[in-house]
Amino acid sequence: MASLPTCSTAELTPLLGLTANATAAADYICNRFTATSDKFTTTTYAIDSTYLLFSAYLVFAMQLGFAMLCAGSVRAKNTMNIMLTNVLDAAAGGLSYYIFGFAFAFGGPSNGFIGKHYFGLKSIPSAVYDYSFFLYQWAFAIAAAGITSGSIAERTQFVAYLIYSSFLTGFVYPIVSHWVWSSDGWASASRTSGSLLFGSGAIDFAGSGVVHMVGGIAGLWGALIEGPRIGRFDRSGRSVALRGHSASLVVLGTFLLWFGWYGFNPGSFVTISKSYNTSNDYYGQWSAVGRTAITTTLAGCTAALTTLFSKRLLVGHWNVTDVCNGLLGGFAAITSGCAVVDPWAAVICGFVASWVLTGCNILAEKYKYDDPLEAAQLHGGCGSWGLLFTGLFAKKQYVHEVYATGRPYGLFMGGGGKLLAAQVIQILVIFGWVSATMAPLFYALKKLNLLRVSKEDEMQGMDMTRHGGFAYIYHDEDGSSHPPPGFTMRKIEPASASPSPNHNV
Amino acid sequence: MASLSACNATELTPLLGSAANATAAAEYICTRFTNTSDSFTNITYAIDNTYLLFSAYLVFAMQLGFAMLCAGSVRAKNTMNIMLTNVLDAAAGGLSYYIFGFAFAFGVPSNGFIGKHHFGLKKVPNEDYDYSSFLYQWAFAIAAAGITSGSIAERTQFVAYLIYSSFLTGFVYPIVSHWVWSSDGWASASRTSGSLLFGSGAIDFAGSGVVHMVGGIAGLWGALIEGPRIGRFDRSGRSVALRGHSGSLVVLGTFLLWFGWYGFNPGSFLKILKSYDTSNTYYGQWSAVGRTAVTTTLAGCTAGLTTLFSRRLLVGHWNVTDVCNGLLGGLAAITSGCAVVEPWAAIVCGFIAAWVLIGFNKLAEKLKYDDPLEAAQLHGGCGAWGLLFTGLFAKQQYVHEVYAIGRPYGLFLGGGGKLFAAQIIQILVIIGWVSATMGPLFYIMMKLKLLRVSREDEMAGMDMTRHGGFAYVYHDEDDGSSHPPAGFTTRRIEPSGSGPTTINGSTNNVV
Repeated sequence: MASLPTCSTAELTPLLGLTANATAAADYICNRFTATSDKFTTTTYAIDSTYLLFSAYLVFAMQLGFAMLCAGSVRAKNTMNIMLTNVLDAAAGGLSYYIFGFAFAFGGPSNGFIGKHYFGLKSIPSAVYDYSFFLYQWAFAIAAAGITSGSIAERTQFVAYLIYSSFLTGFVYPIVSHWVWSSDGWASASRTSGSLLFGSGAIDFAGSGVVHMVGGIAGLWGALIEGPRIGRFDRSGRSVALRGHSASLVVLGTFLLWFGWYGFNPGSFVTISKSYNTSNDYYGQWSAVGRTAITTTLAGCTAALTTLFSKRLLVGHWNVTDVCNGLLGGFAAITSGCAVVDPWAAVICGFVASWVLTGCNILAEKYKYDDPLEAAQLHGGCGSWGLLFTGLFAKKQYVHEVYATGRPYGLFMGGGGKLLAAQVIQILVIFGWVSATMAPLFYALKKLNLLRVSKEDEMQGMDMTRHGGFAYIYHDEDGSSHPPPGFTMRKIEPASASPSPNHNV
Repeated sequence: MASLSACNATELTPLLGSAANATAAAEYICTRFTNTSDSFTNITYAIDNTYLLFSAYLVFAMQLGFAMLCAGSVRAKNTMNIMLTNVLDAAAGGLSYYIFGFAFAFGVPSNGFIGKHHFGLKKVPNEDYDYSSFLYQWAFAIAAAGITSGSIAERTQFVAYLIYSSFLTGFVYPIVSHWVWSSDGWASASRTSGSLLFGSGAIDFAGSGVVHMVGGIAGLWGALIEGPRIGRFDRSGRSVALRGHSGSLVVLGTFLLWFGWYGFNPGSFLKILKSYDTSNTYYGQWSAVGRTAVTTTLAGCTAGLTTLFSRRLLVGHWNVTDVCNGLLGGLAAITSGCAVVEPWAAIVCGFIAAWVLIGFNKLAEKLKYDDPLEAAQLHGGCGAWGLLFTGLFAKQQYVHEVYAIGRPYGLFLGGGGKLFAAQIIQILVIIGWVSATMGPLFYIMMKLKLLRVSREDEMAGMDMTRHGGFAYVYHDEDDGSSHPPAGFTTRRIEPSGSGPTTINGSTNNVV
């Protein structure tokens, strides 16, 4: 397939013979070819911008999905609290990522560690980055911060949320994305400014490591340092399920996250209008984009089905919440290799991801680790598996098309061990960096008594004590109206501390 | 950057010399260039329609978001009622906007006041408008009507909703959009058929005035004329919060509205494939579209954060509903100037919008004005601020690219006062027109006893009295055998008057 050549009057003129107006003719023709070429360029920008912007909107929709998932997974008395953290992740992240987060992540040319241009979007748009790219990356950044909030839900002071969230979105996360995704990053498979790690670079296409592991490991430290929720493990060490208040919200949130993942994974191609220069016109980057949507889908589906049946065996019934979490674990895992594996491999990815999640959950219970959203297990555990999976199953042809020719590929596909080694390095480095930054932060917050809420606040629920009131009011508060025939809700006092008396909801 | 001018065989032939087949050669070449040009034209239409259609779907998703916001903000006993009004805004609006609304808005060529073509989409598609344009504009029209329903929630007869909604979507709103957005409109910055207002025209890119103020001012009159909800202000004049029944729905609705706003603001470019003819080929209308998505985002984020901290100071806790409303106020404000301001200016817009909303809410309380969704304060107040903001901060380069060269721009950026003056005129004219049309309509309905529900209906809740039953049924109506887990129990209360079927109460999980 020919590429659009330049038209040079000087080259064309002699070919038109010795006629008097050969130059004028060559001009006439070449002007039109040049104009055609320019039109293609602008058309391509318009198409790619449309594609990237709509993908960004889909990733933003995942905030909504995660808000639902979080709300449904916590007890009703903490609903307002967790939803406010979701809104604030997005709002605070908008400002911090605009002012410096994006610069740290993608501000090249710089060095392998951190970016140093585009603070406050200065010099954007450039030949490399347009506003659509900033918006897309912002949507990713706030996703990472959202994940962490799940691990520390139901017992964390709001001030602590604001502090960790700004730090994670504005600094910790952008650094990691610089290493793995920028053209300068020391671990990046797209690196143009230096040598590739192990001649390969790590392949984390849409962020099993950069987003999911970062969010999950940060959550791990938060939850470890503040300890389990009151009542989660009783005196004899038995684990007590503190069930979420709405399964509907959990399922709806899962569906919305699935929906948004179609922006998260295929959108990470950033452009759709690219030819792969093969003899088949119909095959180009748009095909790879579609294939990525399929691998994403299959991994999630397989993980969900596997979880459905395995939990049926393990706990004796068909558990909806577990299936939802399993499905999400499949997505988190495929996120790393979605663009470079075949659909059948995605099925394997999802199958194993389900067992990884189940295993990490059993481990968490054994070690009395309490994570209301199982975020560390899901995003941290399945995210790590996803990186390894890519090192095993990445297909040579796809790696060449998406990254470059001659690169190492999946171990099980005959590509040697270099890619897998780079993946292992990425896992270790993310674990190390996030632990080194977020653990001391959480520890310092704890020492300053800014991390966990008081026992009384936790028992009563943070909505009542810190957010102005309960999230749900199914009966008028004024009491002067006689209630409609049907229902009233009366509280059953819990065995320990009694909450405030003024609410008969 | 060269433009693809036409290839004319008659021009080319002599340039190819006196060769025997010069004419044939010229024709051969020119035919191919013409085909290329035609292909580009087609592709451009396909790309722009894809962009506009998906933007329209996003704006439609805002109906879903507003339905959630409304439902969560009212008491449980009125949930079905408010959600039905949202469904009906969209449904009735579909018909009225198709039959005559779109024609009044965009039926050019006509005059500066009202359109007069394309009734029932006659002669669409044409050079200027395709079906995608209609669908996009319909989605906007029903947004305006939805806003008003928030102000009059919890106490309005359903018939009144149907009447005001059809009138607003089919007439009042299209007229305003004709003035500000059509190529004929007397206030339009895109006017081609006459002189521009103050040599500028009003810049309301996606509708802080056209949509938000129209919806908000209409709501203001409805709420004023029917009066506050029973119990909202007690006998001593103290204000009583009638809290909404679901904080979850409020937050989720806010997020969905935010999501849909990415169709509302950037989509208002209508086309994405347009070159700005600069020396940088990477910069074109697609960049402006992306920039608009960024300004939208930053205004909302800033307004949300500002509201978080200011309310913490004012009421002593972190109030989720207030943050959500503040965020939406920021989005409503930036809607006017999103395409013509810098991202840093959007932060200023959002910051001020938060305070504007707080200020109007205080005023409302002082004047005993009850608006269950604070719709008049948010959409009317922040919408008006948004128009002023544009008159202050519109950047010259962006005004030239989006509208035309040589136009007045923001006062604070050195652009003089003409744009700002046009914005003020737009604010006054919208307040005047909407008041003159919707005020009398609500008044007449009140006089005909069609507006407000009876006291008994209001106390019992409209779901029970007018919509077949309570929205939520958390326990089977047949058996009472399951015993409740710790947490909450529900027990039946015998109605004092006649009651619908008795229901055994037991537990439930809330939502």
